[in-house]
Amino acid sequence: MDASQAQNRTYLGMPLARPRVAFFELSSCEGCQLQIVNNEANLLDFLSLVTVVNFREAMTEKSDAYDIAFVEGSVTRADEIERLAVIRKNAKVLVAFGSCACFGGVTQLKNRFKDPAWVKKQVYGDRSIQTNDTARPLEDFVSVDLRIYGCPVKKEEVEKIVTHVVLGRSIVQPKYPVCMECKENENTCLFDLGEPCLGPVTRGGCDSWCPNSRFGCWGCRGPAEDANVGQLQVIMKQYGFTEETLLDRLECFGGFAKDAEQLRTNMKLSPRRHEGTK
Amino acid sequence: MTAPHHGRQLRKNDLAKFEHTYKAEIASVSQLTAMERLYRIQIIDPEERRLFSFKPGQFVMLELPGIGEAPFGISSSPSSRDDIELCIRTAGNLTAWLARATRGMRVGIRGPFGTSFPMETMHGQNILLIAGGLGLAPLRSPIAYVQEHRNRFHQVEILYGTRDPSQLLFTFQYDLWRRDEIGLGIIVDKPDPAWKGPVGLITRLLEPIIAGKDEAFIQNTSAIVCGPPIMFKSVCAMLNEAGIPMQKMFVSLERRMHCGMGKCCRCNVGSTYTCLSGPVFDFWSVMNLKEAI
Amino acid sequence: MIFKVCEQEELRRLFDILAADNTVVGPVQTGLDRNGSALNAFKPVADYTNLNLGYTTTKLSAKSYFLPFRESLASFQIDGNDWQKTVDYHCDRPIVFFGLHACDINALNKLDKVLMGNTYPMPYYAAKRKNMFIIGIDCQPQPFCFCRSMGSDTVLHGFDLFITDIGNRYFIEIQSATAYNILARIKTRPPEEVDHLQYMAIAAHKNKQFTSRVDTTDLTKILDMEFQSPVWKQWGDKCLGCGTCANVCPTCYCYGVEETVDIGLRSAQKVKTLYSCNIVDFAEVAGGHNFRSERHTRLKYRYYHKHRGFVEAYEESLCVGCGRCGEACLAGITVPEVIASVRGEES
Repeated sequence: MDASQAQNRTYLGMPLARPRVAFFELSSCEGCQLQIVNNEANLLDFLSLVTVVNFREAMTEKSDAYDIAFVEGSVTRADEIERLAVIRKNAKVLVAFGSCACFGGVTQLKNRFKDPAWVKKQVYGDRSIQTNDTARPLEDFVSVDLRIYGCPVKKEEVEKIVTHVVLGRSIVQPKYPVCMECKENENTCLFDLGEPCLGPVTRGGCDSWCPNSRFGCWGCRGPAEDANVGQLQVIMKQYGFTEETLLDRLECFGGFAKDAEQLRTNMKLSPRRHEGTK
Repeated sequence: MTAPHHGRQLRKNDLAKFEHTYKAEIASVSQLTAMERLYRIQIIDPEERRLFSFKPGQFVMLELPGIGEAPFGISSSPSSRDDIELCIRTAGNLTAWLARATRGMRVGIRGPFGTSFPMETMHGQNILLIAGGLGLAPLRSPIAYVQEHRNRFHQVEILYGTRDPSQLLFTFQYDLWRRDEIGLGIIVDKPDPAWKGPVGLITRLLEPIIAGKDEAFIQNTSAIVCGPPIMFKSVCAMLNEAGIPMQKMFVSLERRMHCGMGKCCRCNVGSTYTCLSGPVFDFWSVMNLKEAI
Repeated sequence: MIFKVCEQEELRRLFDILAADNTVVGPVQTGLDRNGSALNAFKPVADYTNLNLGYTTTKLSAKSYFLPFRESLASFQIDGNDWQKTVDYHCDRPIVFFGLHACDINALNKLDKVLMGNTYPMPYYAAKRKNMFIIGIDCQPQPFCFCRSMGSDTVLHGFDLFITDIGNRYFIEIQSATAYNILARIKTRPPEEVDHLQYMAIAAHKNKQFTSRVDTTDLTKILDMEFQSPVWKQWGDKCLGCGTCANVCPTCYCYGVEETVDIGLRSAQKVKTLYSCNIVDFAEVAGGHNFRSERHTRLKYRYYHKHRGFVEAYEESLCVGCGRCGEACLAGITVPEVIASVRGEES
């Protein structure tokens, strides 16, 4: 379908805009973008809804004229801060795409070490790599219009959100925790099986992806609305899990940063836990 | 194999009612305020249109395929059988889409649902129609009924309060109401420089209407009150103080609804279905609903 | 009422007869929990030996077979500015339930009242409900069972036949002509006095096993009186707001509807999803106002709906006392404890 045809698309007789979309990656694995390319069945429909002008995983051409920027990854380098500022300036809508962009994601795990130099040495050895001491979510540097959670994002959800954006519908994220969908999938509660899980406090919408495979939730989508993390702490203890177990999970993706910090205080741990100098 | 189960016999007709949707068309859209529009909606099939009727106070579920469905009180006269009018404020996903809608858009209508204002039982009485903000929208239907049967009622007063003059709804109708000998008092909370009317809360308008009235007037008066809970609560308290029986005051409640038919439970107040037992309740019932006020 | 007695082995024949032409759903052991106790679930069963008729309870009720968690209400074909709506009532093939406990059959009877009984019977439910064959089976009260308090430990109707193990033979209560005709295909005999005595002895023994109870005396009034009781806040502080209690409940039917446009913009879907009144946005309206923004108000609402509002409408509670919600609640919120606390009793 060429662009002129697409311009005339309507829904219920209402003309629809065809937004120009660009994908960018900061510090990340690009796994979220891969979710889009992976979706062969609906890829053509997707491409007729929007005009993709910048997508390193799928095309070589580049353009700076775009309406919606999907930015994957966290900010861990000085040059990324500059790139992000440019993207913000060009985009009408800036989407934090995936947990790294929303919360810092797995990359923010380095934030919990006391000595950044030690971390750098462990990871990169003697190679000279420019990297900041901490990994940060996009919102620490620019305003973010829309967040798509998940590590990785769920392609069905991305499709739904893009369709909603094109239709001019407001985006409403699930406010309920993972347990809702886990029960819908008729899984046995992982606590009954003796495994820890952040499902009761983590935002749903993932179709309980991990618990479906008998893998407890690590909270990649961040807290559900009105999440009762304090009570989960009590429950974890009752089920015989250590505070460390809970802290590891709360810290894994950065979405529960505040709760993790609170727990660290309760555990009388320093804000940055590991000495990391040996 | 079928199993003989219980309960009353269900006929196919009963079952087909559940998701029955009238296909309708937006016949006109008029902008009332920055946030509110009045949509005239006509059922497309003439035979279906003939069968559709409603009572003042009832609501319909309006559906835009793929966009959503929500309840809206009907704002037009029950005697006008050609179309219905819905006054809609842009507040969420569906209404934002409707705000872009133009004449000719095809929508789905289910209903009408819910209880109504018992206009017939008010014949021969004085009526106070008291609205706060968007609460005038559901009142326009009983007002139209009163206009069309004006000689069946004694004194009729509309009392209407909004936050500021820019939010006044149905301004084109005020002279027509007055011409039909319906009293109209308007009050705003935050006046603009051009505002010459009274300033304050709706209870300020109500006070002189009921103050010093004799027992005969009070006993022969019904009230219809629509607005936010804090407003109808104070208005009904004042009316009750004046001696108007609670079962002669009627309010219309607004809740989230997904079915309109007493199933989804989203509209429950306490545990009463607003869609089945309401939206119109007498104030005595509201007093007994734990979460209503 | 007609009673029969059959030998244990005949039940397998009954199963085979029913399973030959129908989907049979029954209790199946799916694994062990962390304490080594059996986990059971209602699953389609093809082989009688896979049935676990002596099951204690299931984590989830059998609800997904008659009130699926997710169900399409309608679909739309979009054609320019016009559209066509198609409603599908999903009138599937019949389902045979082989081994429902009394509480779960009572749950169906309660759902019948609200979903098939009032002004707007729900065809999606009715289509499935009218197309069920139910074999009930007696049970052993578990520590969390308070069905007796809710009047749901026995069931009077809503099934086709009900079997009770009276020691090396089954006592059968027949409720439908269909069941009578099917039973004619296996070997049964009329019960004798000794069977009656054995049945009554077993029932009397069962009655003594209940350890959990709820005092429902004046409960509708007490709930109103104690609407502002501080205990609600205490339970609310524990509540995870996760919706699990509603999802495992055999009678929770509340739902939400979402409409979505397919990515090709050529069709749209209207999908119903069972929802829970404990979820934060259950009573949130367009514009953002939330009638129950606090966790304890939502938890309280659930109790009011089940133990007050439904009683007012149907003169019975919307709770069958199966105890699944309390067992599934990670925070350990159980109906007997909540109601005892509202009544001001030490539990």
